[in-house]
Amino acid sequence: MLTVLRRYGTLIGFAAILIFFWISLPDTFMTARNWLNISQQMSMLIVAAAGMTIVMVMGDFDLSIGSMASLAGIVAAILFSFDYPIWAAVSIALIVGLAGGAVNGLLISFVGILPFVATLATLTMLSGAAFVVSGGKTISGRVIPEAFGNFAREGISLGNWGGVAVSLPNLTIVALIVAVLVWVLLEQTTFGRRLYAIGGNSEAAHLSGVAVRKLKLIAFALTGGSAALAGVMYASRVASANPTQGSGLMLNAIAAVFLGSTLSEHGEPRLLYSIVGVLVLGVLDNGLTQMSVDSYVRQILVGGIIILAVSTSSYTRRLR
Amino acid sequence: MTLLSLKDVTKAYGGVPALKGVDLSVAPGEIHALMGENGAGKSTLIKILAGVVAPDHADIRIDGQPVEIGSPRQAHRLGFRFIHQEFNVVPALSVAENIFMGRQYPTRGGLFVDWRKLNQAARDTLQKLGITHIDPSRPLGSLSLGDQMLVRISSAFIGDDGAPARLYVLDEPTAALNRGESERLFTVLRELRASGASVLYVSHRLDEVMAICDMATVVRDGRSIDTRRIADITHDDLVTLMIGRRVEEAYPPAIAAPRAETVLAAQDLGIRGGRNVSFQVRAGEVLGIAGIANAGQRNLLRTLFGDLAATGGAMTLAGQPYRPRSPADAWRAGLGYIPRERRSEGLVLSRPIFENTTLPHLAAQSRWRTWLTPPREKRAASEQGELVRLKASGPGQRVRELSGGNQQKVVFAKALLGKPRLLLLDEPTRGVDVGAKFDIYSIIRDMAAGGMGVVLVSSDLPELIGMADRIAVMRDGAITDIVAAAGLNEERLLNLCYGR
Repeated sequence: MLTVLRRYGTLIGFAAILIFFWISLPDTFMTARNWLNISQQMSMLIVAAAGMTIVMVMGDFDLSIGSMASLAGIVAAILFSFDYPIWAAVSIALIVGLAGGAVNGLLISFVGILPFVATLATLTMLSGAAFVVSGGKTISGRVIPEAFGNFAREGISLGNWGGVAVSLPNLTIVALIVAVLVWVLLEQTTFGRRLYAIGGNSEAAHLSGVAVRKLKLIAFALTGGSAALAGVMYASRVASANPTQGSGLMLNAIAAVFLGSTLSEHGEPRLLYSIVGVLVLGVLDNGLTQMSVDSYVRQILVGGIIILAVSTSSYTRRLR
Repeated sequence: MTLLSLKDVTKAYGGVPALKGVDLSVAPGEIHALMGENGAGKSTLIKILAGVVAPDHADIRIDGQPVEIGSPRQAHRLGFRFIHQEFNVVPALSVAENIFMGRQYPTRGGLFVDWRKLNQAARDTLQKLGITHIDPSRPLGSLSLGDQMLVRISSAFIGDDGAPARLYVLDEPTAALNRGESERLFTVLRELRASGASVLYVSHRLDEVMAICDMATVVRDGRSIDTRRIADITHDDLVTLMIGRRVEEAYPPAIAAPRAETVLAAQDLGIRGGRNVSFQVRAGEVLGIAGIANAGQRNLLRTLFGDLAATGGAMTLAGQPYRPRSPADAWRAGLGYIPRERRSEGLVLSRPIFENTTLPHLAAQSRWRTWLTPPREKRAASEQGELVRLKASGPGQRVRELSGGNQQKVVFAKALLGKPRLLLLDEPTRGVDVGAKFDIYSIIRDMAAGGMGVVLVSSDLPELIGMADRIAVMRDGAITDIVAAAGLNEERLLNLCYGR
């Protein structure tokens, strides 16, 4: 019984949430359209949480991903205003993300600053940079190419379901691709294996020939890059960029990874579980919004659920 | 009349028995030696007395009254005082602050620490040991190791109201002391005895024990073997009791003689914090490294393994220049390493056996150095597991769930998977039960017979004498002697370690 609660407590809770919304919102919740909608709403968080999982596997975390996402959106938008083609602007925004993440990695692994301090500092700097570059204003309207905004609105048609035309949103597809890539990276490659070894015991990993500092640097760069991608996706979705629009991403991404890690046997973060964590947060957000629950009340609920899930998991682990 | 009596103390760690039944009784006003080889159970017994470890079963009495020792605080209240080598100190605080740590500091107006009084009290405490050369206001970390040890020792002799000290437990107190300092300590111990307090004295130095102790209890393999009056017993009797069997029988015999070719040659190799060393290891040879604690053994191994940069000199490995810049280089060059602390340095406890085994060899154990192939890894881990006689439910079992001896075998499996040319061992049998110890010795013999060179660092002198072909003695960061192990006895080796 306790084992079940420990391993599947979060899943059971998730099922209870689903059933609750299904009953409360019989007409709208359990529909293909709503689920595709949820998948689109969650796509940025999936990308950010996948990136966050990479560093959390090593026992580190990155507080700067929210401001990195904002900055990347701003960079892309500014480049659009200089008539850069979409592919070039997006690529440069992603490179900024990789570079920013690499700076985090450099500070943490080579300079030796704690991840909390290093990424808190870069959070502040990136956020300041986003304001400086944008002049503190939202960049929107004509400078944003139409095709860029349309990308988020379009998708691959899935035909008619019960008389309603549904399509798989492009942003969902991007999120799925990122999730698959990160899953392969963490679960199928020597790189991922070594990251898990660092997370389990970095001294033992080092003495076993793992290049701990180099791998940390790469991992943080990838996290920065995925944060930038999430920021660009967000900019596409709202066809604009402002220097604070990524700010909610960091806490939610960390929350999703923590929620997910309660599902794994030994409490380590894993990509699939992080996606479940994102699903829990996304479904809650969607359902509560439909039930017109105040967004501040939503925040209280989400925080409470994280505490409940993690404390149940650690409490039952202790009882073993 | 006994002060402290222990009967039938047992303790097992994760299924591995450390104490299988120890009896001990200490009379008031007596210096009582607790003797035994490394791993015999002395430290577990002391931890039980200190309230740090809970025994599985124990009948503990003080003045005939049964007591329980549930915490260090309780041990203190019962009048026990402990001096161990790894005593907790704060190097950045002053000598006086360390001596009085955890006790009430003298204050002015109940609020401000009265530093003058505190320093004076510390000076008085040190004076009792005849120590006048240590300034109590200096940071402890700035003192020499011997002086630090004296400070630690003196802190146990502070008078306490409420809980007078009745039994002092000293674990290898003289390990870092010179002869004069040791003599002063013995004077204090004799004074304590005269005042009616008792001392439980743990030391490997038989001469000391013979000189200052009244009684000796010998433990071996977790059992108390005998308790004798020192006056009725000789030096040799004590050794026989401790070892319990002839040294030769504890170690499997060498299968083949060392070969002619040299695996590793170090020429004037500069060790950080030490001096330049030169030595060679031949194929099939076990080179032992002896020395008292912190004589430079660890840094020597770390330099060989590329974790510490050499400060000078050169190495060749199988005739080729060898200049490792990281452990990764060392693994690639064909070295294997068993670190001293298997839990913190050797293993990723939360991961399965096979992931630990293949970690240094992932490039070779994967497809195109990138894609994991768990079935292949598990096969390799199972084969290595058989080689080292690992007892586990399968290669997927988490290392955390294994006993200490089996965990150490995983570390061996990991080191041996790449078929290294040279194996570096740092205290390979520390905290390992007797059966697994023999297995590990057999593995070392097999590997040496196959032509592997082995460097064995150990503080267990019988182990060095039993396993090594030659023994290099380190003192103060330098190799002072290299001697053949054949015909060497423990006492002679110990004297070499101390430079006498």
